[in-house]
Amino acid sequence: MQPLLTIESVSKRFAGHQALHEVDLAIDGGEFIALLGPSGCGKTTLLRCIAGFLKPDDGRILIEGADITGAPPYRRPLNTVFQSYALFPHMSVADNVAYGPRRAGTGRAEAQSRAREALALVGLEEMGERLPRALSGGQQQRVALARAIVNRPKLLLLDEPLSALDLKLRRRMQIELKHIQEKLGIAFIFVTHDQEEAMAMANRIVVMNAGRIEQIGTPADIYRAPASRFVAEFVGEPNLIPVEPAGPGRMRLKVTGAELPYAEGVRCVMARPEDLVLVDGTPPADLATAAGIVEEVVAVGPVTTLFVRCGDVVLKVARLGMSAAALHPGSAVTLGLRVSALHPIVE
Amino acid sequence: MTAPRTTLALLLFAPLAFFAAFFVAPMVVVALSSITADDGALTAAHYARILLDQYHWDVLWVTFRIALLTTLICMLVGFPLAWYLVRIVRWRAWRRACVILIIVPLFTSNIVRSFGWMVLLGRTGLVNQGLMGLGLTERPIRFLGTETGILIGLVYILVPFVVLTVGNALAKIDTAYEEASADLGVGPARTFWFVTLPLTLPGAVSGAIMVFALAVSAYVTPALLSGGQITVFSMLIFQQYSSVFDFHYGAALSITLLVLTLVLVTVAGRIGEGRKPA
Repeated sequence: MQPLLTIESVSKRFAGHQALHEVDLAIDGGEFIALLGPSGCGKTTLLRCIAGFLKPDDGRILIEGADITGAPPYRRPLNTVFQSYALFPHMSVADNVAYGPRRAGTGRAEAQSRAREALALVGLEEMGERLPRALSGGQQQRVALARAIVNRPKLLLLDEPLSALDLKLRRRMQIELKHIQEKLGIAFIFVTHDQEEAMAMANRIVVMNAGRIEQIGTPADIYRAPASRFVAEFVGEPNLIPVEPAGPGRMRLKVTGAELPYAEGVRCVMARPEDLVLVDGTPPADLATAAGIVEEVVAVGPVTTLFVRCGDVVLKVARLGMSAAALHPGSAVTLGLRVSALHPIVE
Repeated sequence: MTAPRTTLALLLFAPLAFFAAFFVAPMVVVALSSITADDGALTAAHYARILLDQYHWDVLWVTFRIALLTTLICMLVGFPLAWYLVRIVRWRAWRRACVILIIVPLFTSNIVRSFGWMVLLGRTGLVNQGLMGLGLTERPIRFLGTETGILIGLVYILVPFVVLTVGNALAKIDTAYEEASADLGVGPARTFWFVTLPLTLPGAVSGAIMVFALAVSAYVTPALLSGGQITVFSMLIFQQYSSVFDFHYGAALSITLLVLTLVLVTVAGRIGEGRKPA
């Protein structure tokens, strides 16, 4: 089966700055894809190329096998939710949502009923008569979503749609968006710089950096097995533990002295803060241990993070709840880590 | 820190005094003058004389027709110019040069510019020479002393106001609106009609009102280009004040023009308000 969207070595340059560098990507129908990366990584440029607001310098973009690289935005079978929502200020909410079908030649009554249906889906059926400016940010966001899905596109592009909302509302909208996406079966491409948001919503995450794709994978892949130091550091909090060669085919962790099989190009391994444990008494045999001094304790409720110095490396240790908050800077602790949980970072 | 009461009072009073001295007082003087006779008694005779005389209605009709046509042509010429400056020109230096070219004539006197048109539009002027040279007309077209001549002069003088107001409105429109329209499957022409134009309407209406008000009250340009063949209302007012010295009658004429203009402008403003965007 051919993919819904195929991006073939797409490049884009802006006045001396390579915004996209030979990007390849294939997306199937019904997928929820997050384009994740820091600002300036090219994720929005890629989205605008797919929407047709930018024309790639090189490469092709295909939808269901049809080349749409040069097609104008109004001839592409996809819709966009804009970061600023871009709701037409001179039209009521219902007219905003009905705009697409209405201009496509659908009769007034039919367009209005489809608009009502779309508004009901986002829980705003009562707001049709209002002007967009009379709505809260969260409501405007929903109207923008309703307007973009009223034509039932196969692909919906979302450009940081939640970035203007406060944290609580944002969390709620993440879940709601995910439900709407599953209900409609529309493929979503969701641009965000927030790794938690990407992990909470997406089936697959595309991590971008400096105009290139660093890694494509499920949230678990990206988190547990980052393909590069950049991904490890951008997604979640990594402990990057340096390694040194220890004889043929072996390398040794500088902190614990534990030995691992050597892989080409590896200078450090990654352990997530929750992979490290505090050890009391005799450690189980499969744990490598290291002695350290607590430097800082950051307790935020569900998680307490300890910053523990082991020699010249500071390791982050995450503990559930507030139990570890009783530890003070200066306390001596023993850290344990499971060697099988370590992921080598290839550079 | 709270400002002393006297300072506050002064701050409030100064603009109020300015407004009263330069806007309200002259108005009141003219209005009072229009309803008094030479001996100071109140009278409505001046207004009766104006409103009951068909001649005045004829002149009013010519005046408003010229002003409306001027406004219409200014919009038709000014809108594309503003579009070109704001949306098409990518090179900043060229845009700046264009804006300067549009503004600089405003620094020159209307009299000079209207005289310029008298020379250009004359029987042997550049315009007729050009038209005949291109074979578009066999005999010189008469511009001077016609409404066409006055229209050309007024449009030339007033177009910059439309370019500036509409350009300003266009520049303020977030292009995301047009992108959203295109994204929803609507082509450029209909996007302009359904999204861009309604969003520029308030700017366009304020530009149109300005042009209309200036055109309806213009004196110099019509006076120079009419060649005595056409009379607009401001000429009647000028005659009363400068030749006949009937200040009361002149005042009544002024107030008549002012009220009728205000009525039209209010109606136009309402139309603009009805579709006002955020």
